[in-house]
Formats: sequence, C-alpha cells, structure tokens
Amino acid sequence: MPRFTRWQGIALCVAALVSTVWLAVTNQLILYIHPRYIVFTVIMTVLGLVLVVASFGRSPDREHDQEHGEPTPRGYRRAITVAGTVLTLVVAIALVIVPPATLTTATADQRVINSTQVGSGTKTVDSAASAPAGAFARFTVLDWSSLLRQTTDASFYRDKAANVVGFITKDADDPQNVFYVSRFVITCCAVDAQPVGVPVFLPNWQNRFAADHWVKVSGSFESNPSTKSQQSIALVPTATTKVDQPSEPYLY
Amino acid sequence: MPTIVGLFVGLSGIAAVFVVRALTPALGPWSLPNRVQDLLTLSISVIIESLPFVILGIVLSILVQVWVPDRWIMRILPRNEFLRRAMISFLGIFLPVCECGNVPLARGLIVKGFTVSESMTFLLAAPIVNPITILTTGQAFGFDSWIFAARLVGGFVIANVIGWLFSKHPDQDSLLTDRFAAECRLPDPHEHDQTRWQKSVELFTRESGVIMPALFIGSLIAGLVQVAVPRSVLLSLGSNPLWSILAMMALAFVISVCSNVDSFFILPFASTFMPGSIAVFLVFGPIIDIKMLTLMRTTFRAKVLVQLTVIVGLLSALIGLVVNYLA
Repeated sequence: MPRFTRWQGIALCVAALVSTVWLAVTNQLILYIHPRYIVFTVIMTVLGLVLVVASFGRSPDREHDQEHGEPTPRGYRRAITVAGTVLTLVVAIALVIVPPATLTTATADQRVINSTQVGSGTKTVDSAASAPAGAFARFTVLDWSSLLRQTTDASFYRDKAANVVGFITKDADDPQNVFYVSRFVITCCAVDAQPVGVPVFLPNWQNRFAADHWVKVSGSFESNPSTKSQQSIALVPTATTKVDQPSEPYLY
Repeated sequence: MPTIVGLFVGLSGIAAVFVVRALTPALGPWSLPNRVQDLLTLSISVIIESLPFVILGIVLSILVQVWVPDRWIMRILPRNEFLRRAMISFLGIFLPVCECGNVPLARGLIVKGFTVSESMTFLLAAPIVNPITILTTGQAFGFDSWIFAARLVGGFVIANVIGWLFSKHPDQDSLLTDRFAAECRLPDPHEHDQTRWQKSVELFTRESGVIMPALFIGSLIAGLVQVAVPRSVLLSLGSNPLWSILAMMALAFVISVCSNVDSFFILPFASTFMPGSIAVFLVFGPIIDIKMLTLMRTTFRAKVLVQLTVIVGLLSALIGLVVNYLA
C-alpha cells in the first residue's frame, strides 16, 4: 500500500475521531446521532484514537517492506483516484471547520412534513382524551402532529391549550398566512430524520419571522380560517415569540 | 528515533485539529445555503453514525487475523461447502457488527483463509442474521409477522445463493480488486519479527487507509442523493404491489441506514406501503446501499458489485412479491 494512502486513512481517522470527541464534549453529538448511541460512539472513538496514536509510533521501514506487488493506477483510474482523494479531503475539512448545525427547511420540504407516521410511542386520541388538563401544555410538536393525523374533529381539541417550540416551515398552499412549527424526529441519526409539524394560522407571519426561525407558539386548535390551506385544523396563536434553538433540536 | 518523532508529530497534529475544531464555531455562523448545509449535516451524520462500527469492525478483523488461532474458526467449519456457508451465515451472531463494520471483518476473513464466496456469504448474512437486528426487527413488527420471517429467512437465503453462485467462479481471486488481492498475497506477518501488537497496529493503519476514504466518499454521495431526490416521489408509489417494492429498494439504497435500527426507521411507512415492500427494504438495504457499495468497492471489482446488486435486487423483489401475496 502506498505511504500516502496509509497516512490518508490515519488523517481521516484523526479528523473524524477528534471531531466526534469535540462534539461529545460540547454536547453536540445529538445533532448527528440519537442520544442512545453516544456512549457506544465515544467508547469506540477513544479506542480508535488509541490505535491512531499507536500508529504514529510505527517504524516507517515496515510499510516500505510491504509495498510490493501493488499496481499503480494510470490514465482515467488515476484521475478517479485523485478526484476521490480531493472529495475526501473536502469532507474531512468540512468536518473539522464547519460549525455543527441541524437540518433545515430544505430537508423538511424535500421529505414532506407529516408524510409518515412517526414512532410507536406517540400520543393516541384515547390517551390524549384521558390526559389531565395541564398535560397538554407539555405536548410536543410530535404529539400534536400525531393527534392531528388521527382526528380533525374540532371538538376534540376544544379546551386543549397548546404550547410548542419548533422551526418555521412555509405551508405550500397558503404561505402568506400559514406556517408549520416543525421538528425533525430521528430514529438513528440525522439521515433518517422525518419532519413533523403543526400548522399555525398567523396572517402575514413573514412580516415578523422567516423560514428556519425557531419560535414558541401558544394558542389553541381551531378550524383553519385559511381558505387556501389543505389543513382543516390549525393552531391559532395567542402568542408567538422567537426563541433560540433548543439544546436538543430533534425529537425522538 | 523515528518512533519518538512520529509520536510527537502525530500528537501535535491531533492537538492542532482539536484546537481548530474548537475555535471555528466562535468565528460566527456560516451563512451556507440550506441545501449545502444539509448536505454537510447529512454526510457528517453518516460518517459519525458509521465510525464506531467501522472501528469495531477493524478491531474484530485484527482479532481474527492476529489474535485468534486458525483452528478456532477454520477447523470448526464443516468441509461440505453448503453446510460450511450455512454455518458462516450465522457468524454474525457472535460478531454482531453493523454492515459497514463487516467490510473490514470480511476482508480479514479472506486473509485468514476464507474463500471469496465464503467471505461474501458472511458479509451479506451477518447484518441480518445477528442478535441485535433480530431483536429490533421483532420488536418493531412482531416475532410472528411475515415481515420478520421474510427478513430473517430472506437474508439467509440470499447470502447463501450469492455464496453458491460466486463459488462457481473458477478464479476466486479475480473477484477481488488488484490492491486487495496483492495484500492477500503478502507473506504471513508471523514470518517477520513483528510482535502481535505491532502487527495489530500495522493492520489498523492499512485497513483505515482503505476503509476511511471509502466511508467519506460513500457518505458524501449518500448525502448528495438525499438532498437531490424528493421523498414525495417514492411515497407516491406505496400502494402498488410492484412499484412499492421498487420504491422501497430505492429508499433503502439512498438512505443507507444501519441494519440494527432500520426496522424502527421503516416502521412508520408500514401504514403507507405494502408489507412485501417493507420486507424488501429490510432485506435489500443491509446488503446494497450507497455507503455499502462504496465500502465493498475497496475489496471487490466493480463488475462483481454490479452482478451482486442485480441478483440481490431480483431475489429481494421475489421475496417482496411472495410476502405481498401471502400477507
């Protein structure tokens, strides 16, 4: 194996392992993976770093001994190899220097909000009907979106005040007056994130907010006053305030 | 004193990367376009999710190659090739690594003496026939469901059919990339004066040099495709017996999610998609996806991967159609 390839692997290990440790220390690993994998990830990362450090102490003579019998790529294969190396380094540099971030409305739009049911532990109409009055204020975007999928009976939502936090995603049918207060729900990592959202009727909301802003919306569910939106029930807010992104932006 | 210098330079490099990583967020928010930002977030997510399994896979590969005596694995396997492959299919029960970690382990098994087709059988069966995947699939769909049975039996059958087909190839080494075939021909490391620890570190360096670039490239491609292909296109095909199967294959190919948790990911789709297509996602996904193909390319020739993809796709589709008919 060429010496460059060997050290490329170690360099990529360093970029990935050090970034993972830093994300874990700063509690930002949850931007990429489900919290249940953090301990396993950190343990394997430390093990990886030990092996990387051990590799620094190897005598370079041995690697030279084992470079026999390996063909060197030429022509277009060499071009592919070089392009692959450049792309790999670009990703590694991004991993090290780009600030960690959650997924944005681009992915929420691309994956279609509320396009699938999410998780087996979400609220059902029966469990919500028997919940004490104060419990509704603690329902998340995931809880409400799950209930909205199950029933659009306006009487069910009467006297159930909502208080939800999420980022703004435009409603495709009535972007002027309706937005979704949205969250991503993840099973394993950000790759499988599913967007869920609660429609909010707030005329001319774009005068105060923009897509991707994190907001806290308090109000109650009513028949959607919007004539264009396809959502029959919407959250009509009594208060909508801009908030910082929560430390745990994903729901599980 | 090359080792001292190497250690000093290496540790300095790690410290420098850590400092850069810690300082860059303080330089302020980066106003990247949403799609570019999401591409990076998705690609990095695949890397971070896969990294511990890749490290575990390399460590197990080192254990198998350097620390486990030959007789422990090779001599307990039956001589009959069908029984031997069937038994290899269950190795994942003792080595429950996710599919990306199985690639370095499968490479180690070839070096240890497995034929290419036997290693392939292990590589394809282990992500499905392992205790974690069995448990999560049972929890998600029920241990008495068609989907559970189809996944377990389907994974076993596909791995053995593939192993049998490729065992008929007269020149097994020609299925491998030139680089890996050359590595397999290297003399036994125990002939040198290296200790086992030195050999372990040597193997870690070599395997990370092969696997890590493939992981980075695969993650980038998986992120690109996820940003580019609207999910609504796939979801609109859910209720058709044939199209739903093809849609789920496409989703499995794109999403590249780990086999240990893919059941929970796909569970919400069960209300929209036919059961056969869910089974196809669970059988096809752990074997063929963007990330896996990139990782397998470190070991197998492109032609072999095309053949593998076509055969696994056809067999998975057949399993899906049968489940759609029975369930």
